[in-house]
Amino acid sequence: MRLLVVEDNTELSKQLRTALAEAGFAVDSAADGEEGLHLGATEPYDAVVLDLGLPRLDGLSVLRRWRAADRAMPVILLTARDSWAEKVEGLNAGADDYLAKPFIMAELIARLNALIRRASGVARPELDFGDIRIDTAARSVTRQGVAVRLTALEYGMLVYLALHAGRPVSKTELTEHLYAQDFDRDSNTLEVIAGRLRRKLGDGLIETVRGQGYRMSPAR
Amino acid sequence: MNETRPHQPFIRVRGSLTRRLTLLAALWMAAGLGVTGWFVVRLAEDVIEQAADARMTSLMDAVVAAAALDPVRGPILVRAVSEPEFDRPLSGHYWQMSAAGGLIATSRSLWDQRLPAPSLNEAPRNEDIIGPRDEPLRLLERRVQLEARFGTPRFQQVTVQVAVTRVPTDIEIQRLQNGLVLAFLGLGAGMVAVVALLVVWSLAPLRRAREELVEVRAGTRQHVDLTVPSEIAPLVNEIEALINQNRTTLERARTHVGNLAHALKTPVAVLRLALERDEVPAARAQAATLERLVQHHLRRARAGALAGAAGEEARPMVAAQSLATALRRLFSGRGIEIAVLGRETARSKADPQDLTEMLGNLMENACKWAKARVECRVLPGAPGMIRVEVEDDGPGLTEGQDAAALARGVRLDEAAPGSGLGLAIVADLAGLYGGTLQLVRGARLGGLRAVLELPGRF
Repeated sequence: MRLLVVEDNTELSKQLRTALAEAGFAVDSAADGEEGLHLGATEPYDAVVLDLGLPRLDGLSVLRRWRAADRAMPVILLTARDSWAEKVEGLNAGADDYLAKPFIMAELIARLNALIRRASGVARPELDFGDIRIDTAARSVTRQGVAVRLTALEYGMLVYLALHAGRPVSKTELTEHLYAQDFDRDSNTLEVIAGRLRRKLGDGLIETVRGQGYRMSPAR
Repeated sequence: MNETRPHQPFIRVRGSLTRRLTLLAALWMAAGLGVTGWFVVRLAEDVIEQAADARMTSLMDAVVAAAALDPVRGPILVRAVSEPEFDRPLSGHYWQMSAAGGLIATSRSLWDQRLPAPSLNEAPRNEDIIGPRDEPLRLLERRVQLEARFGTPRFQQVTVQVAVTRVPTDIEIQRLQNGLVLAFLGLGAGMVAVVALLVVWSLAPLRRAREELVEVRAGTRQHVDLTVPSEIAPLVNEIEALINQNRTTLERARTHVGNLAHALKTPVAVLRLALERDEVPAARAQAATLERLVQHHLRRARAGALAGAAGEEARPMVAAQSLATALRRLFSGRGIEIAVLGRETARSKADPQDLTEMLGNLMENACKWAKARVECRVLPGAPGMIRVEVEDDGPGLTEGQDAAALARGVRLDEAAPGSGLGLAIVADLAGLYGGTLQLVRGARLGGLRAVLELPGRF
C-alpha cells in the first residue's frame, strides 16, 4: 500500500516514514502544503497522512483542494490541536480520521489500515480466502490456522489484490501502489513476488489474467 | 499550543458626540430662529406700513375736507391743507383730484407732472407706484362726492389721490430688519456655544473614566474609582466588572500553569531515572502519564480561561448537527445512525468552542459504544437552563460505574479507543459554566444517556 506523508517537521516526518515503511507501506513524503497538494493530486495513493500546520499552504486548504478535484483517497489528519471545533472543521472539509499529536505510531498504523480497508468497502479487519486468512489489523496471514511469514512486498501485494478481489489488477497499478515514488520500479519483480506468494499460499489463490494482470477471487 | 483566539477590533469610530449634538442644536436653532425672525420682521413691517397708511388716510381726509367743486374749473381747494410738503415742488408728497370731463387739480408739489390716471374700479385703491422722480410712492385713491359751490349738478363724483414717498418707511423697515437679524444671529450663536459647552461638560465624566482606565491598564491603579452621573454609572460598572473578570481569568490561568508545572515534576523525575537506567517500559509508562497530564491541564486551562469570559451565545443545535456530520464520517465504517433533535432557537451561555468540545466528547463517546444509533436531544431544562441528552444503544453503565466514568483518566473499558478524559472534561467544563453532567441509563435506546445541563434559554 502506498502512502503520502505531508509533514513539515523533518524529525517527525523521518520517524513516520521509517515506522510506516517498517509496517509494510511504500511511503512518499512532502515537507510543505504545495508539494503535498501536487503529489496528492497526481499520484495514486491508498491513504494520506496530512499535518494541518504546514508552510506555504495549510493542511485544510490542501485537503479542500484535493476533494474539490475529486481526489477521494482516505486522509487522516495530524495536528497538535485536538479541540472538537477543529476536528469538526477537518472532518467536514473531507478528512476521514483525525489523530492528535502526540500519538502512538501503532494507533496511526491501525487507523490507516482501517481507512484503507474501509475505502475498499471491506468492514471487517479479517479477510478469508478459503483456508487463507489475512488479518489486516494484526498484519498477519495464516494458512489452515498456521502463520505464514511474508515479506513486506509480498504482504502488500496480497492485501492489495485481496482488497480488490474479483477484478484483475494490472502490473502498472500494482507497481504504483506497492512502490514509493523514488523506488526503482521493475515489473519483473512482481512476477517473482507472485510466484513466491503462490508457493507459500497455494497455486489457486492468485490467478494470472493474460494481458490484464493478476486477480484473486472474492473473499468467502 | 497556540490558543489565542482571533481578535477583531469591533469598535469602529464614526463621528463625534460633541460635533453631532452641536450640529443638531445649530440646525434646529437656525431653523427655529429663522422662522421666528421672519415672523417678527413681518409683524414689524406691518406695524410700520399701517402707521404710514394711517398718516396717508389723515392727509387724504384733510385734502377731501378742503376740496370743493367749481362748475367751471372742476375740483379745487377752498382752503390750504396743513402739510407744507404739498407746496414744495417734487417733495414726494402729492395729491391729485380728477373730475368728469378731464378736469384735474393737483398739488403744487406735482409741478407739471401727473399721478397715474384713476382706476376704473369703484373700490378704494392703495398701492405702490413710481413717482415723478422715479422714487417709490405709496398711492391712496378714493372716490368722493363733492358739492358744487353753485349751479348744477349739485354733487359730482371726484377721484382723490394722495401719494407719499415710501423712502422713509423703507429705510425704517430696513433698519428694523438689520437690527432683528443681528439680534437673532447673536442669540443663535450664543445658544450653540452654550450647547457645545453643555456637551463637553456632560461628557467630562467619560473622559475622566477613560483616564482612569488607562491607569488601570498601565497597572498604576487597581480599580476605577469615580463619582459619575447615573447615565454613565452602568457603563463604568460593567467595565469594572470586565476588569475584575480579566483579573480572575488571569489568576486562574496562572494557577493552572503552576498546577501543571507541579504535576509534571514527579513524572519527569521518574522518567529521567528510568532513562538513566535504560528502563524502557518504565520510561514509556511515565511518558504516557506525562501526555495525559499535559492534555488534562491544557484543556482545563483553556476551559478556565474561556469560562465566563465575555463572548457570544452558543447554538447547541448548530454545534450538534455539525458534530453529527463529522462523526458520521469518522464512524462511517460502522454505519451508526446519528440523530439530532430539538429546537433551533435554543441558546447556551457557554462559549461556542466549549459547547462543541462538551457535545463532541459526549457524542463521540456515544458513537464508540453504540451498536447502531445515537440520539442527541436539545431540550428545555430547569428555569434558565437548557438540557442536552446524548444517548446510545450500547451496553450502558452499571450502578456505580457513572462516578468512575467522571473521574479523571479512568477508562472503564479498554476496548474503545480514547484517553479516558472525555467525560471528566465535559463534567469539568460544565461545572465552570455552572452546569452539570449526569450519566443515567437511557430510557429510549437502552444504552448510556449523558445529561448535560447548561445555563441558557430554549
